Amino acid sequence: MIIRAKFNKKNYLKYISHLDLMRLFQRTFNSCRIPIKYSEGFNPHPKFSIAVPLSLGIESEEEYMDIELLENIAIEDFIERMNKALPDDIQIINAVILDKSSSISTILKWAFYEIKFTHDQINDLSILEEKINKWLSNEKIFISKLKKKKREKVETEVNIRPLIGNVVLKGLDENNYTIINVLLGIGESGNLKPVQFMEALNRDLNLYVDMELLLIKRLALYAEENGNIYSPL
Amino acid sequence: MIDKLKLDKVLMKVEKPARYIGMEKNSYKKDLDKVDVKFAFSFPDVYEVGMSHLGMQIIYNLINNEENYACERVFAPWTDMEEQMRKEGIPLFTLESKEEVRNFDFLGFTLQYEMSYTNILNMLNLSNIPFKSKDRDDSFPIIIAGGPCAYNPEPLADFFDLFVIGEGEEVILELLELYKNMKKTCLNKEEYLRQAAKIEGIYVPRFYDVTYNDNGTIKEMFPIVEGIPKVINKRMIRNLDTMYTPEKILVPYIETVHDRIAMEIFRGCTRGCRFCQAGIIYRPIREKSVDRLMDIADKLVENTGYETISLTSLSSCDYSNLLLLTKQLMERYEDRKIGVSLPSLRLDSFSIDVLKEIEKVRKSGLTFAPEAGSQRLRDVINKGVTEDDLVNAVTYAFKEGWSRIKLYFMIGLPTETDEDVMGIKDLAYLVKDLFFNRPKEERKGNFMVTASASCFVPKPFTPFQWFGQNTIDEFMRKIYLVKDSIKDNKVSFNYHDADLSYMEAIFARGDRRLSKLLIKAWEKGCKYDGWSEYFKYDKWLEALEETNIDGYFYANRTRDFDEILPWDFINTGVSKEFLIREYKNAIEGKTTNDCRERCRGCGIDDCVMRGVFN
Repeated sequence: MIIRAKFNKKNYLKYISHLDLMRLFQRTFNSCRIPIKYSEGFNPHPKFSIAVPLSLGIESEEEYMDIELLENIAIEDFIERMNKALPDDIQIINAVILDKSSSISTILKWAFYEIKFTHDQINDLSILEEKINKWLSNEKIFISKLKKKKREKVETEVNIRPLIGNVVLKGLDENNYTIINVLLGIGESGNLKPVQFMEALNRDLNLYVDMELLLIKRLALYAEENGNIYSPL
Repeated sequence: MIDKLKLDKVLMKVEKPARYIGMEKNSYKKDLDKVDVKFAFSFPDVYEVGMSHLGMQIIYNLINNEENYACERVFAPWTDMEEQMRKEGIPLFTLESKEEVRNFDFLGFTLQYEMSYTNILNMLNLSNIPFKSKDRDDSFPIIIAGGPCAYNPEPLADFFDLFVIGEGEEVILELLELYKNMKKTCLNKEEYLRQAAKIEGIYVPRFYDVTYNDNGTIKEMFPIVEGIPKVINKRMIRNLDTMYTPEKILVPYIETVHDRIAMEIFRGCTRGCRFCQAGIIYRPIREKSVDRLMDIADKLVENTGYETISLTSLSSCDYSNLLLLTKQLMERYEDRKIGVSLPSLRLDSFSIDVLKEIEKVRKSGLTFAPEAGSQRLRDVINKGVTEDDLVNAVTYAFKEGWSRIKLYFMIGLPTETDEDVMGIKDLAYLVKDLFFNRPKEERKGNFMVTASASCFVPKPFTPFQWFGQNTIDEFMRKIYLVKDSIKDNKVSFNYHDADLSYMEAIFARGDRRLSKLLIKAWEKGCKYDGWSEYFKYDKWLEALEETNIDGYFYANRTRDFDEILPWDFINTGVSKEFLIREYKNAIEGKTTNDCRERCRGCGIDDCVMRGVFN
């Protein structure tokens, strides 16, 4: 039996790494006595996977993981036990039982982010909006990425425009940070990190963004099949 | 509370930001405005090291268990974080409430090793707290310290308001209660310290004065206020089964040095190794019962989710019911993939059955500590192991599939000759031969033996407390003697920094005149001295010279038995006569038996082991 669970990662817990998160779940399965399957071999490890790891310092409303179990358990019971043992800022929001499915990591194609930032044009956001729309009308937007070629790292130019979906300027928050929502490609078929998006935006629009003060939150993750974008749960 | 936006900004820039966020499983978050006493507990090293310390877990839970007290943690920020904090003007803060350390009632440091002392100064500085006790008015927290290095508190005498001598969990609540009661009637720090100084085990350095002889040794140390003791008796838990033991421990998010359940099975040690300070100061031996331990283990597994239970003590194989305990633990937890580990294995009491029990789940590497290369020298230090013990243990380990062995040694022990030193090489080669002399089809794994040598630092309250440490040159000569003789890629030899051990020896047996040396070294940028990449020996040499302190006097000079030692005013329960007798036995190469066999009259008055094993 496989459980697919949706969980969040908020506040200061955005500062724990993907590896730390894996260990947290492993310990939580232990203390909750979730009958998780272990791999065979000399050093058995529990069989569960978290989709598209979140970078350190980014909050999330929606993360996904698949967990393989030895025996069936009631889903409500699973959620309740886990949430009691998990910290307040990492909680299971929902979970379902899957009979069989392609792995969560391969089906996810898009991530929806909220980015808060400061820049020098906060006085007139409509101009900023215009600039962004004009920028998005480019067919190609290049950034340079370090790619591994054999053993060396080589800088290559990559067109990120196909990896940018909707971009919505939401306004200012109480600390006068500009809020923007963006849909960015994720996963093996093409991955654009929110920081890379902001670097490109900042570079092309000359916004003087304080890149040290980007507050980023992942709002949702989406799968895509035959042009249909849908939530994996 | 510190500025959270600024904190977010710096956390985005530093390595391992989770070191500074707190919020771990089983951490407390109390409203600091609603408690009577706020205690900041500090381990003056980086988070991963401090969080591995069992004493911190005990004190943290003990204080927070009281509804009206709050204990929050603070560790030394790593250098990248310190740089950011200074740049942004963020003062040192506690993990739980992100509250400035300066706003607490108490700031308590645990003193685990001498080379953490500069970190203490650095943390005070980051908290905007003056170093010296006399420069702090009533608005500052009361700054206290405990732990094994508090058995010679003198090098830190100027900085701390008081020291706890002995087992902190026995006395800390008394200190807080006194504070709480006095707070009601307008608290005055001087008066608080006067009252506290009357509590057994509490040392308030400002109430004592020291005079010196012309040759620099101590002439006299005496109290300068009425009604406080001339000798400070250590505090000690009587019954380990009924003592406060946390049923939940903090579980860090990031990987720490000991990322597992540390379950203390007993205190004290009956072996009597003559170099070992812990073996004296934690006397007498006190064990927890198997039933109590099984009960604690259950709760800790439930409350943490850890997969390994480590049975900790000074010499875990000596636990009376070790086989029964490990059997019961394995029976209960094997199905749940929870393993048991023993942090230290002794060659002599190496129990094949115990090892067999443990290895059912997973095999850990094997480390042995013969401490000295020759039998003669092992007799001098009273390390009761023989070459046969090593042969038996290692042969068994190879048969069971282990292939990597580590051997720990010390260099610079009393009476040591070059022949003794070369014994390190001989033992390492012996282990190698034992592996390769086995039939080829029975050899499993990729063999490696690592011999590791540290430079001996004589410690207070040991039979070697009078012994002059080898000079750095002498250490290096001996180290190279071994190093140059090993020419085998299956045998590796590594050694500790002799410079560092020299500084450690100065502080281990230092007196209150060393406080200016610490300040000077800190001013020159010394911190994280225990981390070899940060240890700046050249700065320490400058600091010694500029403060006119003779390192030889403290580290290398052999002291007379009748010299007044800086720590003589502390009573560990073990008599000085016993230590002198043991030193003389050492020089003559006479061994002293384990006190479970026959009492040797060390002076401890209520030892449960006395008579039991006669």
